[in-house]
Amino acid sequence: MLKLTKVSKIYEGKVAYRALTDIDLEIEKGEFVAIMGPSGSGKTTLLNIISTNDSPTTGQVEIDGRDPHKLKKNALAKFRRNELGFIFQDFNLLHTLTVEENIVLPLTLDGTRVKEMKEKAHQLAKSLGIEAIMSKRTYEISGGQAQRVAIARAMIHEPKLLLADEPTGNLDSKASKDVMGMLVSINEREKTSLLMVTHDPQAASYSDRVVFIRDGRLHSEIHRGESRQAFFQKIIDMLSLMGGDGNDFSSVRV
Amino acid sequence: MTFRQFAFNNVLRNKRLYIAYFLSSLFTVMVFFTFAIFAFHPAFSGGKVNQNALIGMAVAGGIIYVFSFFFVLYSMSSFLQSRKKEFGLLIMFGASNKQIRWMVFLENILIGFFATVGGILTGLVFAKAILLIAENVLIIEESLYFYFPTWAIIITFISFIFLFFCISLFVSFILRTNKLVDLIKGDKKSKGEPKASVILSVFAALLIAVGYGVSLYVEGLQVVAALIPVVLVVTLGTYLLFTQLSVYIIRRLKGNKLVFWRKTNMLLFSDLSFRMKDNARTFFMVAIISTVAFSAIGTLYGFQSYLTKGMKEVNQYTLSYSPWGNDSNETIENDLSIINGILEEEKIDSKMETLELTYFDNLIPDARVLVVKASDYNRFAALIGESEVHPAEQEAIVVEQSSAMLSEGPKASELLMDSPIALKDGTIVLPSQVVDTEVLNIMTGYYVVHDNVFEKFTSPDYRDFIAVWKAEDAGKEQLIEVGSKINEAIEYKVTAIDYQLYEIDKTFGPILFIGLFIGIVFFVSAGSFLYFRLFTDLEGEKQKFSSIAKIGLTDSELKKVVNRQVALLFFSPIVVALIHGAVALTALSNFFNYNLTVEASIVLGSFTLIQIIYFLIVRYFYVKQVMRAVM
Repeated sequence: MLKLTKVSKIYEGKVAYRALTDIDLEIEKGEFVAIMGPSGSGKTTLLNIISTNDSPTTGQVEIDGRDPHKLKKNALAKFRRNELGFIFQDFNLLHTLTVEENIVLPLTLDGTRVKEMKEKAHQLAKSLGIEAIMSKRTYEISGGQAQRVAIARAMIHEPKLLLADEPTGNLDSKASKDVMGMLVSINEREKTSLLMVTHDPQAASYSDRVVFIRDGRLHSEIHRGESRQAFFQKIIDMLSLMGGDGNDFSSVRV
Repeated sequence: MTFRQFAFNNVLRNKRLYIAYFLSSLFTVMVFFTFAIFAFHPAFSGGKVNQNALIGMAVAGGIIYVFSFFFVLYSMSSFLQSRKKEFGLLIMFGASNKQIRWMVFLENILIGFFATVGGILTGLVFAKAILLIAENVLIIEESLYFYFPTWAIIITFISFIFLFFCISLFVSFILRTNKLVDLIKGDKKSKGEPKASVILSVFAALLIAVGYGVSLYVEGLQVVAALIPVVLVVTLGTYLLFTQLSVYIIRRLKGNKLVFWRKTNMLLFSDLSFRMKDNARTFFMVAIISTVAFSAIGTLYGFQSYLTKGMKEVNQYTLSYSPWGNDSNETIENDLSIINGILEEEKIDSKMETLELTYFDNLIPDARVLVVKASDYNRFAALIGESEVHPAEQEAIVVEQSSAMLSEGPKASELLMDSPIALKDGTIVLPSQVVDTEVLNIMTGYYVVHDNVFEKFTSPDYRDFIAVWKAEDAGKEQLIEVGSKINEAIEYKVTAIDYQLYEIDKTFGPILFIGLFIGIVFFVSAGSFLYFRLFTDLEGEKQKFSSIAKIGLTDSELKKVVNRQVALLFFSPIVVALIHGAVALTALSNFFNYNLTVEASIVLGSFTLIQIIYFLIVRYFYVKQVMRAVM
């Protein structure tokens, strides 16, 4: 589904800065992968390269067998609109539009029939529990609701790959849990591949696999076993190992 | 960091945000300064230009100044609107109202100062151009050379520093700090739509229709009486048109999902309705200001053309001479020889014709009528290339000069046509047809009869004399020179058309120039309003488009949305103003009873062209800015 081969990114400037070095990453169809790492490790750069917002200095990106970085600008926009879904930390909803209008926006740009758009929007809204706020404006809803609206917008055109940048970054733990639960259920139901960048070990523990990067290189990865609780613990341990102090290690469990 | 430093750095390090406000202030200063350069030119202070023109210029300066005040005030308040969130943050961090007012005051003083200095500097660059234009439009004996405009600089500097000071004081005083939460959410919350009611929308259409109807219906002096009520009605109608009808239409469009949810329409209309209140106000102002500009320039241009073209039509001859009623033959002889002498002196080849005019009392009731011999008429006609007439012996041809007629009263020809002439020997001469020419400059109309019949008209009741000259290939300058010389030698008796036109242009030039200047100032300011409207929202637009671009928006789709948005903003008020202007000029032409179609088309057409060019330029920069934010 998604395949990165030897991707490197160097930011030119007065002092050239190497943000990513030889990243190899592969995501299967329907897989849910979280990327973690300390601040400045290159997580967001990586996501930007995958989401085609930024281009790699060297290396190859392949989404569903195609290299989006080789597409022309207009084709790239269409590619994004049709194949990718985006969820942002700050939601990126348009405040001139209502919730419903925000959700159907990607479809209107493609010129889908109104009836179809309405149906899809309502289905999604129902499954995300935001039916009641469909005609509200974005400043009238809470952060958790806004993120659910953003998920609905990202999902409405049934993308193959859903990219999430700190989706729980602005939410409290309850809202985070709700949002993560929804992402997982979408992942399972629609078999949408999911790539999420996060700081939040809780959120990461919902994924199938967590990839750690540090200083722009792949550091390690851990797979989820049977229990989410144990996975969460492993993530915490790994984070502490990577950047934390000794006392961040969890106490030995029985 | 002191608070003062904070305020200064806030401006200096945030140039982008302030640039639109700064530029429109600078522009205002520049306009005033350019005008001042012109008004304070040494060529005017020498006392050679008449006092009226100077007073006119002072008034014009005042109008520009007052207008600048409102323009800067408007720019500033919409600029402050766009910074609500910033104020909210400051208050949240504990800034007092007083401090915020102080900050706004300092900022405005800072911007005002640089705008004044910058406006004067750019004005200096344009000074030469404006003086050149003025020199060509105005007819001034000496040239308007470039000079260092000390007075203009001083006056502009003081006036505008004062203006910015007042406005800063004013704005910082009225700056209301609403609820904190409103301020912080300020940029996300719509200012709301004006209330749209069907009744008021219909009323808007009705008001405009009534205004138009009245102004097209009235004629002559009624136009003056109808002027103020019509202006009020149409202004109110225009206001309602933009606040009601446009709101109503956009609401309907938004309600219709088939239209609203179609491709990029959603982005376009949601934006329009989001800023409905601001837009309605801007549209209204721009429409009214442009209408004023169109009408002012159209009126002046039309008036000038009315004066000069009318005179040219009536006076076909280079010179025409008519003595006073009691001048003796010797005086006439003397005058003619003086005129011929001057013509010779200036080496102008010309042909002269003279004619003794014979008037008769008893041909038609209550009036004296001129009767001219056909051969005499044909002599004069040949001079200006008019066709000859050949009446039969029993026939009289009625000649009238409709271009010199006033609009009131029955036509001269009607009276003459109805009056058969009974001669003493019993012959009856019947008026057969009406010819409309300028051959003899007689307003009341006259008969042309066959030479043989003319002999039978005996003992005229009144005699007059007329002499005309038609110059052959003489330069305009020469003719003006001749005219001025003859005018000095023989006052009032000679009509030298080229000289008189020159005199009219000379007195009319400054008025036309000032009118043109103010009209252009208004028009360009209207454009600046639009520009300002666009660029106040630019930051928000950039953000919006960059979020959509992340989801995927092709360049062509983006351009399409932006294009339509800018086009709507630029053309909807101008189209209304053009229609208003056209109606106003039609009313004017009814007033003068003079066809102004050509003049109105030229004025309105050139404004449309300028607006299109302006639109293209602004669109180019706007699209560029948005595209840069997206990438």
